[in-house]
Amino acid sequence: MMRMVARRLAASGLSIFILVTLVFFMAHLTPGGPAYSILGLKANATSVAQLNARLGLNQPLLQQYGLWWWHLAHGRLGYSYLLNRPVGALLWRYELNTLVFYAIAISLSTGLSILLGLAQGVYFGRWPARLIGAFQLGFYALPPFFIAAMLVLWACVRHRWLPASGMVDLRLAHPGIASYAAHLVLPVITVTLFTTASLSRYFGEAVHEELGRDYVRTARAKGVGFTAILFTHVLRNALRPLVTMLGLSLPYIFTGGVIVESVFNYPGLGWLMWRSALAQDYPILIAIVLVIGLLTVLGNLLADVVNGLLDPRASYE
Amino acid sequence: MNAVLRVENLSAALPRGGRDVPIVEGLNLTINAGEMLALVGESGSGKTIAALSIMRLLPPGATLTGGVWLGGQNLALLPESALRRVRGRDAGMVFQNPLAALNPSRTVASQIAEAWRVHNGGGKNTARVLELLGEVGIPNAAARLGDYPHQFSGGQRQRVMLAMALACAPKLLIADEPTSGLDPLIARQIMELIARLRRELNMAVLFVTHDLSVVEAHADAVQMLYAGKSVEWGSAKQFFTHPRHPYSEALLGSIARVGQARLHNIPGSLPEPEARPPGCRFAPRCAHCQPDCEAAFPPPSQFGATTAACFYPRPVQDRHAGVEALPVTAPRRFITQLQVQHLSVRYAGKTGWFGAKAAMPALRDASFSLGRGECLGVVGESGSGKSTLGRAILQMLPYEGQVLLEDTDFAALHGAARCARRRRLQLVFQDPRESMNPRLRIGEIIAEPLRLQGQLPQAALREKVETLLRRVGLNAQLAGLFPGTLSGGQAQRVAIARALAASPDIIVLDEPTSSLDVSTQAMLLNLLKDIAYTDALSYILISHDFAVVSYMADRIAVLHEGRIVELNDTAALIAAPRHAYTAALIAAAPQPRGV
Repeated sequence: MMRMVARRLAASGLSIFILVTLVFFMAHLTPGGPAYSILGLKANATSVAQLNARLGLNQPLLQQYGLWWWHLAHGRLGYSYLLNRPVGALLWRYELNTLVFYAIAISLSTGLSILLGLAQGVYFGRWPARLIGAFQLGFYALPPFFIAAMLVLWACVRHRWLPASGMVDLRLAHPGIASYAAHLVLPVITVTLFTTASLSRYFGEAVHEELGRDYVRTARAKGVGFTAILFTHVLRNALRPLVTMLGLSLPYIFTGGVIVESVFNYPGLGWLMWRSALAQDYPILIAIVLVIGLLTVLGNLLADVVNGLLDPRASYE
Repeated sequence: MNAVLRVENLSAALPRGGRDVPIVEGLNLTINAGEMLALVGESGSGKTIAALSIMRLLPPGATLTGGVWLGGQNLALLPESALRRVRGRDAGMVFQNPLAALNPSRTVASQIAEAWRVHNGGGKNTARVLELLGEVGIPNAAARLGDYPHQFSGGQRQRVMLAMALACAPKLLIADEPTSGLDPLIARQIMELIARLRRELNMAVLFVTHDLSVVEAHADAVQMLYAGKSVEWGSAKQFFTHPRHPYSEALLGSIARVGQARLHNIPGSLPEPEARPPGCRFAPRCAHCQPDCEAAFPPPSQFGATTAACFYPRPVQDRHAGVEALPVTAPRRFITQLQVQHLSVRYAGKTGWFGAKAAMPALRDASFSLGRGECLGVVGESGSGKSTLGRAILQMLPYEGQVLLEDTDFAALHGAARCARRRRLQLVFQDPRESMNPRLRIGEIIAEPLRLQGQLPQAALREKVETLLRRVGLNAQLAGLFPGTLSGGQAQRVAIARALAASPDIIVLDEPTSSLDVSTQAMLLNLLKDIAYTDALSYILISHDFAVVSYMADRIAVLHEGRIVELNDTAALIAAPRHAYTAALIAAAPQPRGV
């Protein structure tokens, strides 16, 4: 298995290289530049040229590109133009916020998906499954920013139950865990609704399919009760597509995160990416793309490893 | 006699197309302890639904009427919770295709232990599992407790299924096609195992099958199903010697047996459950049909130990009058057309960091020749390399050695010349429906090889397609249909028409009948035989069924573990097999009746 992991990582190296290269050149080809974000739109040509020379942006593009890899090889991701701080440390701080946010949201949606999917698979074709199906379709079709806006209008503006944006109440000198938690409620609900919609649909389909298989009939012929069949036979086999989906949707959830984080002004990686893209803060942008690429590879790998544990037939050769 | 299972007037209907369609109607049967009853019928006869009805394992929405008496209880009326205590404890069940019937992600031991635990409690029950695995003959069982179903061979999986069904020592075993899909030698072992267990455990066995030859040796009683109704039932001995119902007689006549001169096929096909004829259901296909047969379903008429539902049951014949022995003729002489010399095929092995590991050859040093108009049979079990051989000859695989068509080596040809020559070899696959594009109409499927040969005007093309369809005994109007609407036998005939469209010299038939029912198989084999005579076609017939091969082939090559262990004229091979494996194959094949 270790061999499979090593081989997969080696093969993914090329994909990540291509991804970073593409983003580097596309970001640099866009007109304008970070100088205008720093100096303002009315900056004169000489000060822009001075700043560009200081940032090294006047050098040939290929040289800048080579330099970026050279620095990466030495463990440096560069400095943010706008915030003037090392990218690595910056990324880590924002990544932590995102991790907290998504760890909660993904655990919640996985749990919900399993419950809903089991119900949907068992009641396939009858009204409980149809009802669940209708909700899945509805929440899948609704864009996350719309759900987010409606939630804010209802829970923050109308009832004033929850804070509408940010990560913590800035007026508090020593914010407690309750303040963080209150700020997380609405973003987590938004992401959970969106991901549960698709995940539970896949899982429900898988449960229904597995219930129709011959080994279920064999278990019934042995006299095993339905609940026992569901949990000791069907669940494990039906989890495989769900795990694959989860692995594949890791980066997908992340891009969804850009929207949700910016709507709620939540200082996570998605929010940072959005701000850096607007300001053409190249070092941060490329570093985030690198992180997304790595997450994609790791997500797929993780899904394969978990599926290998679930299914004894899976071979790593 | 104490009846273990008594089924009274059992009917089952399934919802199809918005209404309940009866699948099984008015089934009556009784099985005593230690007795094996064979429930026989072709696909679509309702035999599997009948078997599932007994344990009430029918798909959701099915309706069931009648009585199923097992151990003083009527299972048809039992609530689900009480029924669950009967399933597995009083009646065990074995299914077709054990790989699908076992949970792929749980160990074999845990699945067998579950069957015991559900009714008797306890934990892992390793001792009982080992005992059961020993009983069904799994060698070195203790070492295999942690193995998963995919790590077992096909025959062993069926043994595991049996161990599971026997876990609570049930009084009744229901076996639904337990041997189909297995190699003949393995199927025979499983059949013998079931027969032995029945004797040792004094168990009643309901054996469901489509193949009469499987149960010939072991069944005590037979019940024939046709289109949902029993047509003949009674003692197996008398049934096999003197079948009374025309359908039983026809079906027995269509089984390929070693050394048979001509198979009898049944015209027409089994009616769909929605369109079953009102009177005798077999009447439209019956050779002895009278006008009143189509008016009402015939009442049972008993004669000796069997009962047939027929107005005009067949008279008891003199046994020897029905046996057609193979006419003893000198082996035919052929002009050599295809030569295969030292053919070996290796599949690429696992590739690791340090290059490819040495691969096991799938085929080793096969040499033979094929004459014009000859049929060469290739027999062997699964994994013996017989399909590989066919594919290598068709140039579909990289191989070592030489394949010469009329003294020209394929390796020496390139480009268009190679393609043109390659077209003279055609292929018919095992599963006809899988080998046709479901989005193309039958006419387009057959026309494709014609188009490859060059431009033809549309009208001429259509005419050629219609001629080909009629050649294989199909209605020309079929050209407008899609493959999904055809029956298995029709689809295989279309596949033959497609192969003929390329006007080939040689057709490789890769298990052409193994997915078909016995009566359809007889029809198809006769058709292939006739075409070979009229067109001077050569066949390479690949099959695991020795009887089928011996019926068709002029010479037989026996493949075992990638090697041709014996190659001889069919009659000589049957009369004096030189290799032990050949002898075993012949012994496992259905023997001529009355011997």
